[in-house]
Amino acid sequence: MAECDEVSRKITIKLVYYGPALSGKTTNLMRLHDLLAPDLKGQIMALETHDDRTLFFDLLPLGFRTPSDWLIKFKLYTVPGQVVHDATRKAVLSRADGVVFVADSQRSQGLNNSESFQNLEDNARRVGLAFERLPLVVQFNKRDLPDIVSEEQMRARWGATPWPLTFACALSGPGVAQTFRSLADAVYPHLDERFGLGARHGVGPDAFVSAVMGEAANAA
Amino acid sequence: MQPKGFERALGVGELLSGIARETLAAELGRALGRPISVTTPSGETLLGEPAEPGETVRRVPLRYDLEVVGYLQASACDEGRLRALGGILELFFLASARYFLASELHQEVVQADFHELAHKHQLLAHSEARYKALAAELEARVQEQVGLIEHTQRQLYQAEKMASVGQLAAGVAHEINNPLGFIRSNLNTARSYVETLETFGRTLKTQGVPQASAWVEADLDFVLDDFRALLAESLAGAERVARIVADLKGFSAVDQAGEASVDLNEQLRSVGDIAATQFRGRAELVLDLGPLPAVRCQPGQLNQVFLNLMLNAIQAMEGRGQIRIATDVRDHQIRVRIADTGRGIPEDILPRIFEPFFTTREVGQGTGLGLTVSRDIVVAHGGRIEVESRVGAGTTFTVWLPIGPD
Ligand SMILES: Nc1nc2c(ncn2[C@@H]2O[C@H](COP(=O)(O)OP(=O)(O)OP(=O)(O)O)[C@@H](O)[C@H]2O)c(=O)[nH]1
Ligand SMILES: [Mg+2]
Repeated sequence: MAECDEVSRKITIKLVYYGPALSGKTTNLMRLHDLLAPDLKGQIMALETHDDRTLFFDLLPLGFRTPSDWLIKFKLYTVPGQVVHDATRKAVLSRADGVVFVADSQRSQGLNNSESFQNLEDNARRVGLAFERLPLVVQFNKRDLPDIVSEEQMRARWGATPWPLTFACALSGPGVAQTFRSLADAVYPHLDERFGLGARHGVGPDAFVSAVMGEAANAA
Repeated sequence: MQPKGFERALGVGELLSGIARETLAAELGRALGRPISVTTPSGETLLGEPAEPGETVRRVPLRYDLEVVGYLQASACDEGRLRALGGILELFFLASARYFLASELHQEVVQADFHELAHKHQLLAHSEARYKALAAELEARVQEQVGLIEHTQRQLYQAEKMASVGQLAAGVAHEINNPLGFIRSNLNTARSYVETLETFGRTLKTQGVPQASAWVEADLDFVLDDFRALLAESLAGAERVARIVADLKGFSAVDQAGEASVDLNEQLRSVGDIAATQFRGRAELVLDLGPLPAVRCQPGQLNQVFLNLMLNAIQAMEGRGQIRIATDVRDHQIRVRIADTGRGIPEDILPRIFEPFFTTREVGQGTGLGLTVSRDIVVAHGGRIEVESRVGAGTTFTVWLPIGPD
C-alpha cells in the first residue's frame, strides 16, 4: 500500500518485479536506471549474493515533484527468484502497489514460470493483497534468445487474462520501458482514487507516467 | 499506515551508525582544512562542533533515497571541496543503508519463519491435545460398551438359567407329587384304621374282655399288618421327597458365586438325580464314576454345566435310551463324559453348536445359550469342552478340568 505522509508531503509507491530465478528482474531494474530520467533518481542498491543472484532484493528509487509541491516517490524492488528465498519474497511483496511479473520466454522455462506465477498469487494472498485488484503486467523477457515461445503462442495462452502482456529484452533494453509504462498506467487509477492525484495534486494520468519516466512533457 | 521493518525511512543518525563519528569528523575536517559539522534538516548537530554564532557558514545538502536527510557545513571553506565531501558522505550513507536494509529484512524473515514455526507447533500441540482427548473419549466409550455387553451377557445367562430351572420345575413337581399322592392315600387309610381301633377299644370298655371273635371280626390282624406296611411305605416316600429337596438345595448353589473344594462325583450324582426327574421313563441313567481328587471350583456353575449337558442329552432321545455319565482322571486332568444314545448332531452344524443363540429347538424351548454358557464356564475354570457325535448313534460331550496344584 502506498503511504501518504502529510507532514513531509510525500506519497511513496511500491512496485515489485517478481518472477522465477534468472528471468531478468535485476536486469530490468538496471535498464530502467539507464533509460528513465525523472527529476529524482537514486542509485540502484543491490543486495546480491555471489554469482549475481539476488539474495534479498534490489532497490531503485525514482521520484518527481507535483505542481502541489509534493514528492511522489517510487520504490522499485526486485524479489529473489530462487525458490528457497520464499520468506524474503513474501516480505518484499507485502504492501506492493503494483507488480511486474518477469517471465523467461525460453521454451525450457514454462514450468518455472507457472510455478512462480502460482507462488505470486499465493504470496499475494498471504500478505493480504487482493490479487484480482492488484495492478499487474506480465513481461516475457529474453526475446533475443533462439529457443523461445512465439508471441502468438504467448498471446493465445495469456490472452484471456486481464493483464497487459509485454515482450522485452532486458539485456539490451527493448520493451523494458514499455513494461514499466504499462504498470504506471495500471497503478495510476488506484492512486488517484486514494490520494486525489489529479484533483488535489494536479497530476493527470499522462503527466504521471511521463513524469516518472522523465519524458519531455513534464508534470509541471 | 507506518511502513514496517526494512522499508521505514532512515534518518541521518541511523545512516551514520557504525561509523566512528569523532574520527570521521576529524578526517573530513582535515580534508577540508576547516572543522566541519553535520546537522539534521532541523538543525541538530550530529557530527563535529556547532558553528559559532555569527560565523558565515557554507552548507551542502546530504541526500539519501531522493530526500535531504541532513547538511554538511563548515565556515569559510572551499565550496567545491565541501560538495565533494558531501558526495563521499552520501556514499557512506548508501553503504550503511545497504547493511541496514539487509539486516532488517533478514530479521523480518527470521521472525516470519519463527512465527510460522511457532504457529505450526501450536497447531501440532493443538492436534495432539485433540488426539489425546479423542483417545480418552474412545477409551471411555469402549469401557461403556464393555460394561453394557457384560451386563447384557449376565442377563442372558440369567435368562438361560431361568429357562432350564423352569424346565426342571415340572419334572421335580411330578416327582414330588407321586410320593405325596400315596403318602396322602396311606394317611387316609391310616385314619380309617385308627377308627377301627377306636371302635374295638369302645367294645372292650363296654363288654369287658371281648372274645377273640371280635378281634377277628374287626380284621385287626390285617389292619395292624397293613398299618405297619403303609407307615413304612409313607416313610420311604417322605425320604424320597427329602432327597429331592436336598438335591434341589444343592442345585440352588447356582446362585452362590463362591468357590469351594468339592468332589465332582457328588455333584454329578446330585445333578443326575434332578435330571432324572425329566426322564419320564425315556432314558436310563448310568453312572460310572471313578475316584476323583477334590477340585476347587464354583460348584454352582459347574452344576449348571452338567445339568445343561444332561438336559440336552434327554432332549436328544428319540425312543428309549441311555445316558451314561463317566468320570476319571486322564493326563492329570479330570475328564467328565456325558454320553447319550440319542439322534446325534449332523456334521454341518456340529462346529456351530457353541455359538451364541444357535439352536435347533423350537422357539421357547431354550435361549440357545446353554452350550455357549457351558463353554464359557468351563473355560473360566481353565478347562475345555469337546463334542463328538454320530447321527443315529448318539453324542458325547467331554468336559476337561485341570486338577489344582494341591
Ligand atoms: N539473453 C538474455 N539474457 C538475459 C536477459 N535478461 C537477463 N538476462 C540474463 O539472465 C541472467 C539472470 O538475470 P538477472 O536479472 O540476474 O535475473 P533475476 O531474475 O534477477 O534472477 P534472481 O535474482 O536469481 O531471481 C543474467 O545472466 C542476465 O544477463 C535477456 O533479455 N536476454
Ligand atoms: Mg535478481
